[in-house]
Amino acid sequence: MQFLSRYGRTDWFGPLLVTILAAIIVGSLSPSFLSAFNIQVLLLAVAINALVAYSQMIIIAIGEMNLSVGAIGGLAAISFAGMMQVWHMPILPAALLGILIGLLGGIINGVIISLTGISAFVITLASLSIYKGINLGITEAQPFYGIPNLVKHLGNAPFLGPLPWLIIPTAIVGFGLWLMLTRLPIGRCILAVGGNRHAAELSGISIRLTVIVAHALSGAIAALAGILLCARLQIGQPTIGDDWLILSFAAPVIGGAVLTGGHVSVGATTLGVVIVAIITEALVLFNIDPFLVQVVLGVLILWAVGINRLREFRLKPLRRA
Amino acid sequence: MHPPSLQIMDISMPSDGPAAASLDASDTTLTPSPRVRRVRFYLTNEFGLVLLIIIFGAAFTFAVPRFLSHFNLFILGRTAAENIVIGFAMMVVVVTGGLDLSVGAIGVCAAMGGGWLMQVAGLPWPLAVIGGLLLGAALGFVNGWAVVRSGLHSFIITLASMSIFFGVMIFITRAQAFRSIPLSFASFAHIRYFGFISPLLLLAVVIMLALVYLYRLTALGREMLAAGARASAAELSGVRVKRVIILCHMLAGLLAGVAGLMLVARNDAAIPSMAGQLGQDWLLPAFLGPVLGGTLLSGGFVSPLGTLLGSFLLTLLTNGLLLLQIGQFWVEAVLGLLLLVAVLLDQARRSFIARRRMI
Repeated sequence: MQFLSRYGRTDWFGPLLVTILAAIIVGSLSPSFLSAFNIQVLLLAVAINALVAYSQMIIIAIGEMNLSVGAIGGLAAISFAGMMQVWHMPILPAALLGILIGLLGGIINGVIISLTGISAFVITLASLSIYKGINLGITEAQPFYGIPNLVKHLGNAPFLGPLPWLIIPTAIVGFGLWLMLTRLPIGRCILAVGGNRHAAELSGISIRLTVIVAHALSGAIAALAGILLCARLQIGQPTIGDDWLILSFAAPVIGGAVLTGGHVSVGATTLGVVIVAIITEALVLFNIDPFLVQVVLGVLILWAVGINRLREFRLKPLRRA
Repeated sequence: MHPPSLQIMDISMPSDGPAAASLDASDTTLTPSPRVRRVRFYLTNEFGLVLLIIIFGAAFTFAVPRFLSHFNLFILGRTAAENIVIGFAMMVVVVTGGLDLSVGAIGVCAAMGGGWLMQVAGLPWPLAVIGGLLLGAALGFVNGWAVVRSGLHSFIITLASMSIFFGVMIFITRAQAFRSIPLSFASFAHIRYFGFISPLLLLAVVIMLALVYLYRLTALGREMLAAGARASAAELSGVRVKRVIILCHMLAGLLAGVAGLMLVARNDAAIPSMAGQLGQDWLLPAFLGPVLGGTLLSGGFVSPLGTLLGSFLLTLLTNGLLLLQIGQFWVEAVLGLLLLVAVLLDQARRSFIARRRMI
């Protein structure tokens, strides 16, 4: 009993239980769910969506929000594709420049927010339109088709069994974030600023620098997600990132992130992404209307915030004791 | 469970959600009070907006003489009417210190509901319009109820509900448009008074006057402002904050429905994609109007006239940029830049006023 209550209090236990249950239920109803090919498709979706979720998670950690995650991802994706098609750049510099663009976008967000003290919501709403507008201005809503074959291959092929290449950058980023948030000073600063900004400032943490670093990281991760999605789709679509907003909030919230900041979990967020992916996959496997995916995501968010709220009340007396 | 008063505070205390937590920072110099309105007229936000509208209007006329043609003025007014009402829909929720990301989704749902009533159910259009508006208000009620009951910030609730409303609407309509809209209804968007005034623009002005009446002269309006300024104080002075917040969300749903039905009249059809994916295309105009108009995002102060002027300025810029043929693709970037400049200028104006003690 003590064992259960100890694990019940961690962020990852609930989502893990749901993940396993969902996998068992869907797997038993539809045997093709557990086929190697299907798992590969699932992992491809998880690899990209997890980055989208991390990008938002790091901003939730400081108690803010970033509406421009999708716009930064889209801008990085079309720059990546455009640089390879129009300027015939090699793959690696193009990808690095794409990530640099995302980093810059994030830094601009962070600098404006921390210098002016205006809410992150308004600033990122404005930068969402600016980045999206630049995207449309460059592409004129036409996709870039000239993606090198190597990128197309890496974007879809597995390197070992059902494990796709795309999972590698995601795993590195996920591990890096976990290390940062639990072991490195800057990660602890980010959580401290999110937990109690005033207390963090009094203990000598530079709020400005922390906010800028968090936004820069968020931008870079969003850009990486855009580039991976570009490789996966095999074209540089200007619409990449348009539908990331809901998902980027759903996964961290399912993973027990507290929206006022100071409490996020990389592992649980990843499980949140897996849950969303399994449910989306199940809707496809059972021929249920794909339009319902949006409804399911919305319900999942509500359900998760409800559970988080209950946990808050249940856990408060335990922590105090 | 926790005491009820605590729950109320949870709803709109700035520390509750990320939105409120950071929105609150935007106004530390001025506490929202009626005295704010007595700034000298040339320092008011409204005066600045009128000035900007005149400057940009003159510049566009100079660059493109076609700008002042009756046809263009008519188009400008008609589009402005939609943006103004969208701005109002967001404004009435921002008053309480919350926000409503689902205005676009509700607007499209109400428009599709109205379209269905006209085309499939065959109701006469006034009844169908009422039906559509009721649907909008009902969806607004769902938002408000969920916000009040859960005690969570409206950002996360409306983020989820925008996904749910839009998804259910697409599922029910199978993403098909209703294209047989009665001519008598659609003609509202095509009538021109004096050659260039759209009845829709007049409707927007009437709505503005109604909102001014609501916030200045009715007890309910004052209660909404009080609940937005400081929920706990309002609760202690006898305002039923929960009920007020639900009413604000219902009003937002109703106004979003008006904007959606205006779009139906203009398009001669109710189209599910007319506000973009999940209604996200409305978000920028919805926030630009109130923010340009000086409405406090932390709640407690509104300016319906400012919102009207702000939304008009945004439409004017869009229209002018399209006429200049700068490329329709750059318009969104310019509007984003406008929002950024607007909030920065607003910040500067506030600190200037505070420093010179000009209030």
